[in-house]
Amino acid sequence: MKYVTDMKAAAGKTVAVDDTILVKGVPATAGSKMLESFVPLFDAEAVTRLQSAGYTVSGKSNVGEFGLDVMGETSYFGPVTGENGSLRGAAAALVADGDADFALCTDLDGAPRRAAAAENIVFIKPTYGTVSRYGVIPCACSGEQIGVMAKTAAGAAELLSVIAGHDDKDGTSLPEKHYDYTASADVSGLRVGVCADYCGRASQETAEKVRAAAASLGVCEDVSDGRLMLARPAWRILLAGETCNNLSRYDGVKFGFRAEGYKNIDELYTMSRTQAFTLLTKMTILYGSDVLSKGRYDTCYDRSLRVRRVLRNAADELFGKYDVLAMPGCSKTAYTAEELGDSIDAVYAESLFTAFASILGLPAVTVGGIQLVADSMNDELLLSAAAALERR
Amino acid sequence: MDREKLIPLEKLNQLALTEEETERVLAAFAAMEAEEAQLAETDTSAVERMVFNIPLKNILREDAAEKNFTRDQLQEGAPEKMDGYWQVPRLVE
Repeated sequence: MKYVTDMKAAAGKTVAVDDTILVKGVPATAGSKMLESFVPLFDAEAVTRLQSAGYTVSGKSNVGEFGLDVMGETSYFGPVTGENGSLRGAAAALVADGDADFALCTDLDGAPRRAAAAENIVFIKPTYGTVSRYGVIPCACSGEQIGVMAKTAAGAAELLSVIAGHDDKDGTSLPEKHYDYTASADVSGLRVGVCADYCGRASQETAEKVRAAAASLGVCEDVSDGRLMLARPAWRILLAGETCNNLSRYDGVKFGFRAEGYKNIDELYTMSRTQAFTLLTKMTILYGSDVLSKGRYDTCYDRSLRVRRVLRNAADELFGKYDVLAMPGCSKTAYTAEELGDSIDAVYAESLFTAFASILGLPAVTVGGIQLVADSMNDELLLSAAAALERR
Repeated sequence: MDREKLIPLEKLNQLALTEEETERVLAAFAAMEAEEAQLAETDTSAVERMVFNIPLKNILREDAAEKNFTRDQLQEGAPEKMDGYWQVPRLVE
């Protein structure tokens, strides 16, 4: 593994780490008041690996609360905005501005993909199970994944090769010990399916960008498959159910925020959670609790797990015809905090474009402001396609 | 979802919404429930559940005692503590 053993290659290279990923001794807040004072006792496996390889963690990057929002606007510490008032994902801004060479980001509902599109840089959410989630503050475990932000596809391939590989400490880690994404895959004559349904829901500018990119990559044609539109409602249900369970640990007792003025243990719990969480997080917890409840479980949660299989079958058919699918990663590339409001509607609207890769754990790369998705374990092909787009 | 059904969910999840937040959450539920209809129209009766995206194999390890962290380290983030214990309001009068 070239980049695991070559300390010189890594010397002086800096990595910003999302605040949903643990770095020993450095506060990890997940963008939440609940974890404002939380200092982890150990490193995430991905952090251990990059530090062992000679890379330097240069700091933590601000995130929206538990990574649930559009691109960081719900952070307890406030959003990051550009000079024109547009939102910027913190990790993407650090990489785009040259303040960090790379960033590690948790992608559970597409926030880093949207942030990379806004900055016109590269982000890869790898195949689920290739990068250890040990040390990620958990929220929606069956879809969340650490990915890499970089200025170029080659950079993303470099760092992803360092952090990917089996980890006994993660029960959802695939068995392969090492992955090397740095070799270029042959992308000549690439078969590209353009997801017409998603393009039709994005801005004209974004849709045109997707079509132009797809045409430049190889043989492309429009794809319309109604099953793909099931990804958003199904992923919303699974994400909410998992979030509800994972965030139940925050009760103001063992760690995290504790409200003042409570009279009994129930008030301690309720006041602490109510005062600490944003409305987006509260709504997600409540929806998750609802879809897991008796009477709703069969028609919502259980059905969504079956729809995930329907989507997997659709993916098998699509990737039998196409090497990659091209689609928007977001409806547009500039947002202001004012237009997003409490983010509830906005994140639901934007997850239309990211839910397909999230619910199936597929590798997805943002490049040139668009999103390319490949079948599982085709990350190298995806990064090579991204590199080809950069050369256009 | 309506106001009456939302109240027990709030209690269950130890959350207390304001009136304004309740309106907002109910509107969000309505949008998501409308899209749930798409799922209901999909015949999944002959489809197996897919809980994970990858084939999972249980990982076993020796059941050996390890001492990774001290009590003090584990309590560093405790909101309130006393004599090495986590402190909570009195439960029994």
